[in-house]
Parts: sequence; C-alpha cells; structure tokens
Amino acid sequence: MCFKLAVACPSILPEANHRREKIGVSSSGVHVYLYGMQNPVISVEHLFKSYRKVRAVLDLNFEVFPRTCVAFLGPNGAGKTTTMKMLYGKAAPDGNPKTKITVFGTDPRRDELSIKAIAGVAPQEENLDLELNVVQNLRIFANFYRMRGRAATARIEELLRFMELSEKRTARVRELSGGMKRRLIIARALLNRPRLLILDEPTTGLDPQVRRLIWEKLHNLMKTEGVTILLTTHYMEEAYQLADNIVIMDKGRKVIEGEPRRLLSDNIEKYVLELLDPSLQARVEHNGNLNGCRKDGDAQRVLYYSEDLQSLERLSAEIKQRDYIIRESNLEDLFLQTTGRRLNELQ
Amino acid sequence: MSSSSLRYPPLWNRVGSVWYRHLRVYSQNLISNALPPFLEPLIFLVGIGVGLGQFIGRMDGVPYIEYLASGLLVTTAMFTAAFECSFGTYIRLEFDKVYDGMLAAPITVTNLLVGEVLWAATKGLVFSLTVLIIASVFGILNPATAALAPIVGFMTGAMFGAFGLVATSIVNNISQFNFLFSGFLSPMFFFSGVVFPISRLPAVVRPLAEVLPLTHPVRLARAIALDRLEPIIVWDVAYMLIVTVGLTILAIVRLRRRLVD
Repeated sequence: MCFKLAVACPSILPEANHRREKIGVSSSGVHVYLYGMQNPVISVEHLFKSYRKVRAVLDLNFEVFPRTCVAFLGPNGAGKTTTMKMLYGKAAPDGNPKTKITVFGTDPRRDELSIKAIAGVAPQEENLDLELNVVQNLRIFANFYRMRGRAATARIEELLRFMELSEKRTARVRELSGGMKRRLIIARALLNRPRLLILDEPTTGLDPQVRRLIWEKLHNLMKTEGVTILLTTHYMEEAYQLADNIVIMDKGRKVIEGEPRRLLSDNIEKYVLELLDPSLQARVEHNGNLNGCRKDGDAQRVLYYSEDLQSLERLSAEIKQRDYIIRESNLEDLFLQTTGRRLNELQ
Repeated sequence: MSSSSLRYPPLWNRVGSVWYRHLRVYSQNLISNALPPFLEPLIFLVGIGVGLGQFIGRMDGVPYIEYLASGLLVTTAMFTAAFECSFGTYIRLEFDKVYDGMLAAPITVTNLLVGEVLWAATKGLVFSLTVLIIASVFGILNPATAALAPIVGFMTGAMFGAFGLVATSIVNNISQFNFLFSGFLSPMFFFSGVVFPISRLPAVVRPLAEVLPLTHPVRLARAIALDRLEPIIVWDVAYMLIVTVGLTILAIVRLRRRLVD
C-alpha cells in the first residue's frame, strides 16, 4: 500500500488503477483527496494445499484488484479449482505459518460467512435442484441471502432477463439444456449483487454461441457494475477475451502471470508454423537450416516460431498446404513453451 | 469483528434456509414422498393391531391396539428421519452435489447439518401427528391426552436424523445403508417395546433394550398418549437429548471432512 496525499482541483483525474477518496474540502474550497494503490480484493501469499500425498497447490501467490478479471488457466489437476475453493472456505489450506489469504480484507479461514455474503460463487459441477423449476431454484437461494417477498421476486426477474432465461421461468431444471443450466448457476451466484464473482470453468462443455453470450454478460457485469471476476478455464480464448490478467498454473504452481497480450509479446514469437505431419521435418529444415526460426513440439506435432512471417513462409515453401498451418501464436503455445507440455494431453 | 458479522444473515436464517430448501424440494413430489410413510403405520395398525389384537386382548393394562398405536406414534418418525439423513443426505452429498451449491451461499457446514437434523425432526413431528390423527379418528387414542406426543416425534426425528448423518459419514457407497435399515432399525422395531413390553424380554437382553435408542421415545410417547407419566421418562428425555446432541456433533466433525476439501 502506498498512499500519497494530494490537494487537487476535482478536474484532475487520478491515474488508472488508483483510488481517490475525498477526505475533505478545505475552507478555501480546495478538495482534498487521498490517492493510493487500490487495495486488492483478493490477496494470497504462500498458499499450500495437499491431499494426502498429492500436492495440489504449491506456494501460490497472487492478487486480484477491483473491477478486473483474473483468469486461472491450466490443465485439469493444476490446482485451479482447489485455489478457488480455498477463497471461500470450501477447501482448507495446509497449515503453513507463512500463508496469508484475504478476500475483502477477511481471512476465509476465520470468517467465511462475511466473504460469502458479498461474493458470488458458481462451482464447476452442476448442483441445481433438478426437480424444481428455474424460479424455485433461485427463490431457495434468495432465502440464503435473506431476500424475500417482492424484493426477491424483483431481483429474480431482473436476473432472468439478464441471463436470457425469462421464457424458461417455470421450466423444470431437468428440462433445461446445458447452457441454460450454466446460465442459471451464474444467475444464482448474482442474487446478492456480489462485488466479487468466483467462476469455476463457467463455459466448459458449452457451444460457442452460449459461450459468447456468457462472456458478454460477464463483461457487462465488470464494466457497468464494477464486479471483480476470478475465473478458471481451459479455454485460451476465454482467458484472452475476458481477463485483464492471466495466471497460468501447472502442477500446483504458478508458471507465468501477466496481461494476456503482453504475456504473448514478451514471451513468445508472434507467428507459428504448425506442422501437422512430423515426418515432414526433414523437408522443412533443408540441411538443418531453420532460417532463424525456433523449433518446438513433440512426437505428434512440430512447431516453428518466428517474429517474421516470411521466414515461416520460406520454411513451408516445399510442403503441401494441407500439411501445415501458419498462424499467430496463442496462449496454448505459451503454455507449451513454459511447461514443455500441451494442454490438451492432460484434459 | 462485530461490524463484519452484521453483514451476513443471522443464525436462524442460515439454518432456516437449509430447512426451507428441503421443505420445497420435498413438497414438490408430496404424494410419492409422503404417502408410503403415511400408509406404513396404518397397515401395521390394521394388520397387527386389529388382526393379531383379537387373539391378544390386553397388553400392559390396555387393549392391544391402543398399546400398539401409542408405540407407532414414533416409529414412522424414526424411519423417515433415518431415511432422510442417510439415503437422502448421501444423494445430496455425492450424486446431486447440492451441498456444493449451498455452501457457496453464506452458511457454514454446521448450519447446513443442523438444518438437516431440524428437517428430519420436522418430518418426525408431522408423521407422528398423522399417526395420532388417524388413531384418534378411529377412537384408538384420546387426542386430548396424546396431544403432546408429536413433540416426542420431533425429538425422535432429530435423534435418528443425527444417527443417519453419522451413518452417512461412515458408508463408502449408498447400498451400505441396507445394513443400517435391515440390520439395525428394523430389528430394533421389535425389541424396543413397540409391539410388546421390554419387560417380557429375557432378563439377559433387557439391559440391551435399555441402551437401544428407540426404547426411549416409545416409552415417552406411550407415557404421554396413555397418560401414565412415571419418573423413568426423565431418563428417556435425558437419553434422547444427550444422544441427539452427541450424534449431531459427531456427524458435523465427520462430515466436515467430506464437505470441506
């Protein structure tokens, strides 16, 4: 936390990511503001978690700032879900004296209720009441937040409109499609107008249209209501579309972290030539000349990276078009580079 | 801490919301959920009470059907509560995963499980009341004296609800509950003074009947229904309270390991 006290006229806007708090108006009409780095909504230091012999999370550190979206990316078993659960008391971290967890300034190990009262959580697995209809499901949860009667009805109708579920109001959950159930789970997490939304794989298994719809809704929440979002995903595109900050996890550790576009530009070449048939390597690399490109990959797939598109085009000159793809590099390539493994082989 | 603790709903609301959830889901399929446990004591009363009763005449100083009906006041409470917190809880825990959703709301594991026990107790109260109403309609029991018996049904529901939760924390798969029902609850039905007095049991097994949990609500309910209040019912009330609280705490400790990773 760094604070700086400033006396300024109100027209001077604070820098981005800085908070100003009006602490008074002097007798001469000068507004007095307190500027400082924003307090993180979530702050985690030296987080460890093991299940018997499996070490699920290993010395994890991260922060999430207000009104931003942080995406945890990584294969199954990377420790993403476990990390989410430890933020609201659904999983207990290892008893390490160095561990610090605060969510809205509160430690979930001490007071999970205060956190859950102002956060919304959409767990990974479907856990709706299948026998009840859409509204009944929401009404049961409204009761958990002590919302009743007309106030609850109004909020439920608002959320059904927002999640485009109004027409399914009286449909039993059993009859809903996967995408509708997912939207209902997210609507349920929004009942209490949370300041923080924790979403564990919000779009896994959904078709592209529903996925886009959910992204759009989440984006709206962040921009118009200032909700802070923490999500886990397998999908590179999801992280790229939504997140201000990406944390790539593997085997319980944070591998790399940063703003998505910068992560790519700082860590990996701009273009990639993907060879779909590895036996063609020899024809691409005539006489071992890689043309200044970097080679990576495994038995199934060979990749050549370069900042320069033409170098890759020269490499591919002698092979058929259906045997290769030249494209911009993405987060998956970054993951491969940082962990030496592909994401898909673990999913 | 006092300022932050005001931000989440109070204890009664947290436990009550769990209770309300069960009520809503249960009443969604009310007929299929409530009719079988409603018919069970009725069939028993007609089949054994009326049928066998003709040969028995009186038992423990009252007509046999009256003796039996006063015991049946709490047996349905036992079965429905144990069923709710074993099969029901296991399905919610392992198959439907509804607890994962509920624990994302501002409630704790303790709130959740106390809500389960209260719901089981409520079912005990309701089914005890139904048996009382039927027995009163047929003139078997006197509703004026037996009016407080459903409270024993509530206590019975709570005790066997907590019992079911402990069982849930022990089993590895859902079919193991058959041991609980066929191996423990059903035999106990015959050795806890429901169909004949435990004083008629062989002297060696009589102390065992005193340890069985069903013996106490049966004796308590009968004492109220037949208006025969004796000092021993203080022991029955104490037994039920201690066992209920003890089993609930044990269930919370054990199930927390399954609910919190």
